[in-house]
Amino acid sequence: MREVVTVQVGGFANFVGSHFWNFQDELLGLADDPAADAAFRAAPLDMDALYRAGETLQGVSTYCPRLVSVGSRGSLGSLSSSGTSGLSSAAAQELKVPTWSGNVTRSVAKPHGRNLFLESLAEGEQKPSTGDGAGNDSQKSVEDKELVECLENGVNFWTDYTKVQYHPQSLYELNGSWTNFDKFDHYGTAREVVSEWSQMEEMNERLRFFVEECDHIQGIQFILDDSGGFSSVAAHYLENIADDYTNTPVLLYCVRDPVTHGPPRTQRESMTRSLHDAVSFSKLSSFCNLMVPIGLPSLSQSYFSPFLSIQDVKPFHSSAVSAAAIHSVTVPFRLQNAGPASNFAHSSGNIDIGELVHIISGQGWQNMVTALDVAMPAPSLTDGNGLWNIKSLHSLTPEISDEDEDPYSVESLVVHGVMLAGGQRASISQVKDSVCSAYEGRSTKPKFSHLSVSPCPLAIPLPFPSIFRSNIGRHGEILSNHSERTQLPKGSLDVESVPMAARLRSSNAILPFIERRSLSLQKLGVARGTLGSQALRDWGFGKEEIEDMSEHLSKMVRMFHPEDGLTSDSD
Amino acid sequence: MSLRVLNPNAEVLNKSAALHMNINAAKGLQDVLRTNLGPKGTIKMLVGGAGDIKLTKDGNTLLKEMQIQNPTAIMIARTAVAQDDTSGDGTTSTVLFIGELMKQSERCIEEGTHPRFLVDGFEVAKRATLEFLEKFKTPVVMGDEPDREMLKMVARTTLRTKLYEGLADQLTDIVLNAVLCVRQKDEPIDLFMVEIMHMRHKFDVDTHLIEGLVLDHGSRHPDMKRRAENCYILTANVSLEYEKSEINAGFFYSNAEQREKMVSAERRQVDERVKKIIELKNKVCSGTDKNFVVINQKGIDPPSLDLLARAGIIALRRAKRRNMERLVLACGGEAINSVDDLTEDCLGWAGLVYEHVLGEEKYTFVENVKNPHSCTILIKGPNDHTIAQIKDAVRDGLRSVKNTVEDEAVVLGAGAFEMAAKKHLMDNVKKTVKGRAQLGVAAFADALLVIPKTLAENSGLDTQDVIVALENEHDRGLVVGLNHHSGEPVDPQMEGIFDNYSVKRQIINSGPIIASQLLLVDEVIRAGRNMRKPT
Repeated sequence: MREVVTVQVGGFANFVGSHFWNFQDELLGLADDPAADAAFRAAPLDMDALYRAGETLQGVSTYCPRLVSVGSRGSLGSLSSSGTSGLSSAAAQELKVPTWSGNVTRSVAKPHGRNLFLESLAEGEQKPSTGDGAGNDSQKSVEDKELVECLENGVNFWTDYTKVQYHPQSLYELNGSWTNFDKFDHYGTAREVVSEWSQMEEMNERLRFFVEECDHIQGIQFILDDSGGFSSVAAHYLENIADDYTNTPVLLYCVRDPVTHGPPRTQRESMTRSLHDAVSFSKLSSFCNLMVPIGLPSLSQSYFSPFLSIQDVKPFHSSAVSAAAIHSVTVPFRLQNAGPASNFAHSSGNIDIGELVHIISGQGWQNMVTALDVAMPAPSLTDGNGLWNIKSLHSLTPEISDEDEDPYSVESLVVHGVMLAGGQRASISQVKDSVCSAYEGRSTKPKFSHLSVSPCPLAIPLPFPSIFRSNIGRHGEILSNHSERTQLPKGSLDVESVPMAARLRSSNAILPFIERRSLSLQKLGVARGTLGSQALRDWGFGKEEIEDMSEHLSKMVRMFHPEDGLTSDSD
Repeated sequence: MSLRVLNPNAEVLNKSAALHMNINAAKGLQDVLRTNLGPKGTIKMLVGGAGDIKLTKDGNTLLKEMQIQNPTAIMIARTAVAQDDTSGDGTTSTVLFIGELMKQSERCIEEGTHPRFLVDGFEVAKRATLEFLEKFKTPVVMGDEPDREMLKMVARTTLRTKLYEGLADQLTDIVLNAVLCVRQKDEPIDLFMVEIMHMRHKFDVDTHLIEGLVLDHGSRHPDMKRRAENCYILTANVSLEYEKSEINAGFFYSNAEQREKMVSAERRQVDERVKKIIELKNKVCSGTDKNFVVINQKGIDPPSLDLLARAGIIALRRAKRRNMERLVLACGGEAINSVDDLTEDCLGWAGLVYEHVLGEEKYTFVENVKNPHSCTILIKGPNDHTIAQIKDAVRDGLRSVKNTVEDEAVVLGAGAFEMAAKKHLMDNVKKTVKGRAQLGVAAFADALLVIPKTLAENSGLDTQDVIVALENEHDRGLVVGLNHHSGEPVDPQMEGIFDNYSVKRQIINSGPIIASQLLLVDEVIRAGRNMRKPT
């Protein structure tokens, strides 16, 4: 077992993370549940890779995510930063101050109410599963319906739908006295925050706490909302990580809320955005080993719409898809490596973060920015003559070309929990054969492709948004004979699990993404006397630093043009 | 108005409205902070929406917590916070002083004085007050052996405004000894070399000074000793873990045997490094009762830990970067980056190393070191907010001692300086100024009194009585301050109440600058994009 430490930075990243940890929590629960599907009970995923066992001061043992989550102050909603629900205002009025004998003024903010879901979680903790009898069942499902509804209608904070117990060291709130986190929308807004030494130090300390206890850390996965000032925070954080943990690979997912893609209101705003994208891409890519941009401008209008009905304005919705994709990508990191003999029965293709980084970025284009394609739900095996349908994978990475014919591309494909047409789970070897023959059938094959297979599908936890269309079955199968298209979307009460496939792909399809950033930095930032170069100066960049960034970007672009590398150098 | 032509949405406040906006903001901020001041002030407990508690009596912390919106207030608050950054204290005083300057000015302006005269007067008064401060300050001689008593009094004055007396007095010695410990001749004091650690403890509030270091982690091997005496300390930044160098060195191998070989070659390299450390240990320790401790900034994996444990070495991994520096200052030796040329000279020394376990948290104490230049203040408290507040107080205490050592001077506290400065301004300076700028000098002099006034007010005394009594004493040529218990004048020298010279200087310096700027504002335009109200 090799440990993974997870870092989440920024508002939307925490929304994604909250779903991600809910999936893990659901898997943990199902592994112990005798009534659960065999695929879950076999526990093919090693949770110790993501979780740590510990105990509280009172001696109660805990099992918490190995996680550092960074958000702005007040973004935790009703959860206090120590991971527990905070004390009530009445208790605060009573509290004694042991350090001062004089007067005390109390200023108590109106507490954030806990929603129905959190209330029911808290109740469940108080009386742990006393009545699981049949009599309670009907009553319970009515209650569940209410809970799902309440989440559909009112999620304000990412903590509103989290059912995971976090470690007291996990949650950190950034505090910028003069920084307005409501307008934290570009790289320059974080200047004050990152210059405050003590906060960056505290973030490093939190991470060190989790890394220190790892015997063989395989890598750090970093989920970042790179749409605003948190990019800058993360860039500084990543720089420190690269310094402190030199040989630990970092896998960075840049997630974005579709809302941030809305049309710019002014020309200046559109310029700021382009510059921000370029600068943060350049900075982040130089401090991580593999970068996965996630976040289509609109999920409701995307290829996913035949199966998923997503409301772009709700981060609760849009984050769920990204989280599911990230979950799939992390599956190979924790497949049990049970030796060559038993490999085939249980799972196949376990790989750690370092190996993944090496496979993807070490060959072909030598490019470390990858596109993430996902099939949610993954189609069953017999679609199309026993070949698994690779075309069902659709990209979550924005701004890439649709072209899929790149002989130098390198891929890592993860397929978990897919079914046969009859509704049984496909065995590992069936999946492997099917995928292999699907690749055989393609005109242009990738240069290298790695396949990981697990029988364990994505378990849908209760606090999951109702985003499935009515043509999705109970186990995530695609129903062909659905007639009523108008039905309401299905949620966690109707869909128990979903087979998933996800693919990280390094190919020239990503080139437009990089080129656009390189160009906008050239055009807006480097050219003399532009508004853009003024803005960059305000963000704290010197002339040389801007040139370095621009050079870094054009080098990344040049990677894709090995033959004319020399000529573009002389330009 | 030409602006109207350019932007019909622009909102303009004219002369007197603009001035009043500024004055009101300054007064508002003053009202928020005034109850903070002094040993009789009020502590603030802030409870957030999620039930997070913040406890503070520090103007600096409070200003940062308040999320101020008003632009004028932000300007004042930033000045005050900058005050804290440069000198470590005096945030509340700065805000009070600026507020009072504005208040006094308001009175004059209502009587028809133009703000320009006041500003001119402030400038003269400021210069005169700074000169007076030079004469008034009490020099402290910092030879090889600093005046402990004096330093102690300064630290106590600061701490007593943040914590109740018993706790403050206990901390006084601790912060004093901590600063003296890290002080090195002819070098500026680096307070980062004082590590501040905390432990959650059930009931007590307790604080210790550890001459040496406390690390917030322990060894990760069950067979390593939990307590050792007479220890050599090796401070290292060397990776002792097997890293898959496949990442860098080609991933493909044609068969299992080849892979096996590569892995074992990698492993051997790490083992070599561990063996070198063990060799050194055997060289310096064999035949004696001495022990050997390795504290590494990089990782140590279980096989390496195993080897070290079998050789009787205690090993800690992933130490804080800053602790590398502190360890060397505390124990001696040097931090090594490679195990190639290990000699005894690289090693530090500690009389006692032991581990303390609290739940899942482990602490390693490195104590009884020789001639330390780094130390740890260990704070125990029942909950996070109490710990945080003590931590803030300790930082302030450390700063006050450091300031005194560097200023080589202190200023009599309890309002004595302000009273004396006012008298000086009224008696000697005002006369030398021509015209209406005199009003500015007078306003400045009155504004200085805000410190003793607020001290009296917070102690529940009658402000006027106190000021009159103090002025009488000063007229008789006695330098006195306020006894916050009785309200009687006292000699701060006798009571041991001293403030930092640099803090006072900074307040006198920055207060009038901001106040002048605010007074000279005669138009406020709300038209910028950033000022636009949210639509």
